[in-house]
Amino acid sequence: MSVAAAAPQLELRGVTKRFGGVAAVDGVSFEIAKGEIVGIIGPNGAGKTTLLNCISGLHRLDGGDIRWQGESIAGVAPHRIARIGIGRTFQIVRPFGSMTVRENAAVGAMFGSDAARRGPKEAFEMADQVLELVGLEAKAGHPVSALTIPDRKRLEVARAVATKPQLLLLDEVMAGLNNVEIDEALEMVRAVHATGVTVLLIEHVMRVIVGVCRRAVVLDFGQVLAEGEPEVVLRDERVIQAYLGERYAKRLKS
Amino acid sequence: MADFVQLVILGLLAGGVYVAVGVGFGLVWGVLNIVNLAHGALVIVGGYITWQLFTSLHLDPFLTLPVDAVALFVLGYVLQRGVINRIIRAPLLFTFLLTFGLNLVIVNVLLLVFGSDFRSVTPSYSGQGLELGSVVIPYVRLMSLFAAILLAAALALVLNRTRIGLAIGAIASDRDAAQLVGIDLRHAYAVTFGLGAACAGVAGGLIAMIQAITPSAGEPYTLQAFVVVILGGLGRVSATVVGGLAFGLVEVFAQSIPGSGSVFANAIAFGLMVLVLVTRPQGLMGRLH
Amino acid sequence: MIAQGLRDRRWRRIFLIVGVVVAAYALLAPLTSLDFAQSANVPLLADRLWFRLATYIAMFIVMATAWNIIGGITGYAAFGNVAFFGIGAYTTGMLIAKAKWPFLAALPFAPVVSALFAALVGLPLLRLRGHYFAVASLGVGVAVGELVQNIDYGGQPLFGGASGLFLPIFSIDNRGLFFFYLMVAAAAVAIFATRWVLRSRFGYGLIAIRENEEAAAVIGVNTTSYKVAAFALAAALTGLAGGIFSQWNVFINQDNAFPIEYNVQMILMALLGGTGTVFGPAAGAVLLQLLIQFLGGSLPISVDIPFVSTAARPIVAQVILGLLLVAVVIFVPRGVIDFFGGRSRLSLSYLRRSLRETSL
Repeated sequence: MSVAAAAPQLELRGVTKRFGGVAAVDGVSFEIAKGEIVGIIGPNGAGKTTLLNCISGLHRLDGGDIRWQGESIAGVAPHRIARIGIGRTFQIVRPFGSMTVRENAAVGAMFGSDAARRGPKEAFEMADQVLELVGLEAKAGHPVSALTIPDRKRLEVARAVATKPQLLLLDEVMAGLNNVEIDEALEMVRAVHATGVTVLLIEHVMRVIVGVCRRAVVLDFGQVLAEGEPEVVLRDERVIQAYLGERYAKRLKS
Repeated sequence: MADFVQLVILGLLAGGVYVAVGVGFGLVWGVLNIVNLAHGALVIVGGYITWQLFTSLHLDPFLTLPVDAVALFVLGYVLQRGVINRIIRAPLLFTFLLTFGLNLVIVNVLLLVFGSDFRSVTPSYSGQGLELGSVVIPYVRLMSLFAAILLAAALALVLNRTRIGLAIGAIASDRDAAQLVGIDLRHAYAVTFGLGAACAGVAGGLIAMIQAITPSAGEPYTLQAFVVVILGGLGRVSATVVGGLAFGLVEVFAQSIPGSGSVFANAIAFGLMVLVLVTRPQGLMGRLH
Repeated sequence: MIAQGLRDRRWRRIFLIVGVVVAAYALLAPLTSLDFAQSANVPLLADRLWFRLATYIAMFIVMATAWNIIGGITGYAAFGNVAFFGIGAYTTGMLIAKAKWPFLAALPFAPVVSALFAALVGLPLLRLRGHYFAVASLGVGVAVGELVQNIDYGGQPLFGGASGLFLPIFSIDNRGLFFFYLMVAAAAVAIFATRWVLRSRFGYGLIAIRENEEAAAVIGVNTTSYKVAAFALAAALTGLAGGIFSQWNVFINQDNAFPIEYNVQMILMALLGGTGTVFGPAAGAVLLQLLIQFLGGSLPISVDIPFVSTAARPIVAQVILGLLLVAVVIFVPRGVIDFFGGRSRLSLSYLRRSLRETSL
């Protein structure tokens, strides 16, 4: 990469978040370049979701800085973060229950980044495009309550994509899905990425990261344990230990 | 300085009533997640029982307090088991409206039975007091404070030492888990509300000795109970005791400001409440819920 | 499925027709009291009592519809909206009684002052959720009434104090008719405002806040300013009703400008008719207000309640109202419109289902 390359799109510098003295995220630093697709993995409780909440402005930082295209966005309100072009999904889906599938996506297009923010009529047109992208077009008129779990996850992605983000934070969109569903979801993530959106993907399922990411960041106890190509990172002894425990790691070695 | 001491004493004495009113309200809110708008009405039911026993049987009003507690426990148990349990999982607006409806029924039934005249309970010692220098402490007020603290202690004892109390605690921290270990939710909920109502009844008995009561005299106490619980912090009896005494102090000091008189008591109470809610939502003593 | 859809549509059409007929009658009947109608021997369809009742109903339509914007659409259970009614009433009342302004010049200030007040208290209050917001807003309602009654300035009560505020009578022909139509106009404004909100970006933002506030924020809804705006809009409409009320009633005091029971009545009306809908709160207001008046014995059609003396009747009416409230809350958690015309039908199985969903 040339020196002249612009500042990274998103840059985390020593991001720290504590809950009652316990650091859930402890000095995490990494960068994401525009157009990348990066995975964050780590065992349960490693601080992945907390980190996303920090980026999307739901948590106030206790230390460090987050920079978006060179400018600090630490302490900025969630709706301003959405407005500058960072969209996200929630691990436990949070659809707007009284609305239809189409309305859910349309609300994303009514608000969201500066590139979105349309009036209701145009927003509904855009919702249709987005629903097609994630494969929900046939269920556009359904109430959310009629959706299956995988479809709800798709809807969660659709609503975030409709906000026209430059960076999309996906929080375990594959959790709880079976193998076939995971393949479909991977296809969806690739399709979204192909529209020019940078993707930061949190996953517990390793297969997902290997399948779609060029680079992975491993978190453990709130700290960055390893960073690099997924295949390399996943062979890292510390990573195996963190995931599978020390005894299993030793057995694997011998 | 003497004035200050006097105000502190008066504040604590006034706080006794708020402790009594607050503990039951806080219990129901903390465990059942119900803000009981009929709490004040239940308080006044207790007041009328004390008045009735005092006037017709000439019982000492303090001796009627156990009767208030038992009667209101039964009423509360039945209300929760028969009515409130049916909407316990509905959105909060519904429990709010339901308890308001119960308030309306109770207040108007009291009106039908007792009329709208002011009733007061005046035992022979009601005019007497303890003289401490320039300060006179009415016996009734002093006894009420003791009774209120005793009530709070008894409630804490029930919650921490008895089987049903521990079950209630388990429900408060995790309803589903409590059900999984075999706690009968319906019964435990009804007991919780019954205990809350019993506390309200005792508070009513105390209030009948301090002020003249009418069927609608309980409404301010509902709001004040809310403020007391917010002040102290939801979830513990001891926190409500602190909240009640603090509220009494605030009220007495606010009334002593020249020119304000007693008329702004509510405004000050609610201003204080909003301030606490916005700056320290867990209350003075509480942990975050 | 299809048969059910057809039946629902038929029900909806029946309700629409009944609604239009009732509304047309209510709007046109008063005209028969005009002099030229009387001299042309048109039968008198509306007398003074009718005006009073109908104006009250229109007033509650405004309040219930306004509450719906903050409570039904935004999902914040405001329990102190009566504060805005009182502030509107006292704003107009003070401008007329003390500053000697004409009524029509003073009226626009009622919604403006109410909305400003709502924005001011809304900023801290709307940070609270659930019970905390509900009771804090109730507290504001109580506190404002108390302040208005008790604030002194130079030894004189600033707002008329405990003896209230008397306004000069607004001199116009057919006063009753005038205030009826004025209140109806306010109701129409409230209903159209709701319709606009529900179809706008603003409304979708509010519903998103109701459904999940954090999710709304991360898709870019400025939740704070949206909530405050919804609160202020509700306050403006409620304040407008209060402003009209002050001149209509000529006398205002703490009891009639800040009646605590209105808080619950407007919510109950919205719930009865269906929260979050355009016409639901209005339908609920008509139903509940008629019922309250009927139970209170002030309707022309009246039935004696057995074993109850006339003196005890208002009290018994309140008991019935309370029991009804309990019954409604237990059995109809989704509103009457939904109940009759919408997604479900009135049946025993519906009642059983709605009970099962909410009870232990």
